[in-house]
Amino acid sequence: MRIQVVGIGTDRGDDAAGLRVAERLAGRLPPGVGVVACRRPGPDLATALDGVDAAVLVVAVRSGAPPGRVQRIAPEQLPEARAWSSHGLGLVEGLALARALGRAPARLAIVGIEGRRADGDARSREVERGVDRACACVLGIVGELRGEHVAPGGG
Amino acid sequence: MAERRTIEVGALARVEGEGALHVTVEDGEVRDLRLRIYEPPRFFEGFLQGRALEELPDLTARICGICPVAYQMSSVHAIEKALGITPDPATRALRRLYNAGDWMESHLLHMMFLAAPDFLGLDDGMAVARLHREPVERALRLRKLGNRILSLLGGRPVNPVGVCIGGFHRAPTREELSSLAEALRAERGEAEVLLEWFATLPVPRRPQDVELVALRHPDEYPMNEGRIASSRGLDIAADAFEDTFEELQVPHSTALHSRIRGGGSYLVGPLARVTLNRERLSPAAGAALERVADRFATPDPAASVFARGVEVIQAMDDALAAIEAVAAAGPVRVPDWTPRVAEGIAVTEAPRGLLAIRVRGDARGDVEHVRIVPPTSQNQAQIEADLRALVPHLLDRPHEEMQRRCESAIRDYDPCISCAVHFLDLEVERVPS
Repeated sequence: MRIQVVGIGTDRGDDAAGLRVAERLAGRLPPGVGVVACRRPGPDLATALDGVDAAVLVVAVRSGAPPGRVQRIAPEQLPEARAWSSHGLGLVEGLALARALGRAPARLAIVGIEGRRADGDARSREVERGVDRACACVLGIVGELRGEHVAPGGG
Repeated sequence: MAERRTIEVGALARVEGEGALHVTVEDGEVRDLRLRIYEPPRFFEGFLQGRALEELPDLTARICGICPVAYQMSSVHAIEKALGITPDPATRALRRLYNAGDWMESHLLHMMFLAAPDFLGLDDGMAVARLHREPVERALRLRKLGNRILSLLGGRPVNPVGVCIGGFHRAPTREELSSLAEALRAERGEAEVLLEWFATLPVPRRPQDVELVALRHPDEYPMNEGRIASSRGLDIAADAFEDTFEELQVPHSTALHSRIRGGGSYLVGPLARVTLNRERLSPAAGAALERVADRFATPDPAASVFARGVEVIQAMDDALAAIEAVAAAGPVRVPDWTPRVAEGIAVTEAPRGLLAIRVRGDARGDVEHVRIVPPTSQNQAQIEADLRALVPHLLDRPHEEMQRRCESAIRDYDPCISCAVHFLDLEVERVPS
């Protein structure tokens, strides 16, 4: 089974959280598990999901939870894809495109990291800690997908 | 009895930004037609004052998420003119490569996801992907190469930052360039196949009497240098841009309209570039143009999609030529410079057409004044002229079709309202008197 971890975001403030997770996990994943950073989640997300059986998407979110909170988001919780303009292509549109191309992976997990602000160069301290928790969460999901038993507190 | 109809498109879809179209027709004649750009102004020219000159390429890149390179190129060339810097041959070639990547990304996105649905009678790019998987996959692969070029020279594909006065902050290695060249060579034929697919689609025809304006260079397909030429014999130095073209404020748009002084509206972009620079196309791009040559016999904005397809091939050939030129040119040297009170203007070819930037620097090396004339604001008056000619032919059609045809005509220009400010809703009012 080919598993792809995709860290999604821009380089602005807390919106970079997904990218940082991808950087942090490079070299730490089991063989056969890929990790990429995706700064344009529209068409580039569809490209990143090509030939993949299972995917874990990591992205900064704004849900009203405290900054830094890490949560698993079910694909059906995502909002509907919007009409296309190339300035507004996001994760949802990228996934819809992947589906239209028959590339949507059979198994899909989404990990959201609550952000505080999407501007400036620095990340909020809470979100920085969220990145650590998200890394652990992704490793756990990858283990589940590979059919490994993850001992509580282990890994 | 007079009949009055109004067409109102409240928010145009598949364009970059927010805008609307309002048309009033009375007795079969267009009484009022306004491409309303209501996106709020962004005040770039204002807040750039007082910033350091070296910040300008990075800051102006933020004007557009689709064509950031064009803003970097016009601003850095304008600064270099002001400071009397001539970039070395390696930098010049790398900038052509960088531009080529930007054109590829922008054109392919527009062709496949914004324009193709019009020709196929589909709602959006997702529907195109479901029904025409192969061309969409092809466009995505090609686009990824453009993205790779932007990442290589800009440091990242979004809000790139690699450009500096006189050169690049980091020059790519020989290995990076040769591996890129290999990828470009492997996919180059795909761009020709993609254009052939577009040539099988029922792309409408809308020939019209319009002045086409583009850069022209003695030896190359124009990107960052050249004189400004037109299909009606205009031939001026780029420095004379402001003596020849003027901007006007209109009440219904937050973006300025442009016209030729003492003349009328004009068209900039791929259609103008291809038409005025046919003989500068690479052999492959020239051969591809030959296959759709009948669409270029008279100026026809509806043929813009073919011009974009030809330019994707051209951009790949230019990218390959640029990589060879870099290898031959030796190392990139970024010159030192000292601040001085001086002004420079540069006109480059953005994916959507001429982009003029004039910069005046002060004795501390800060921006004293900057003026930005993006391609979409130059095309606005021409888009309105195009629609004024089109609408009378659509009066007997159902409202929905009328609206769709108007929107499709607007999309032929790939307007970037976000750049111009942003873009489109359609209003058509039908009021019987």
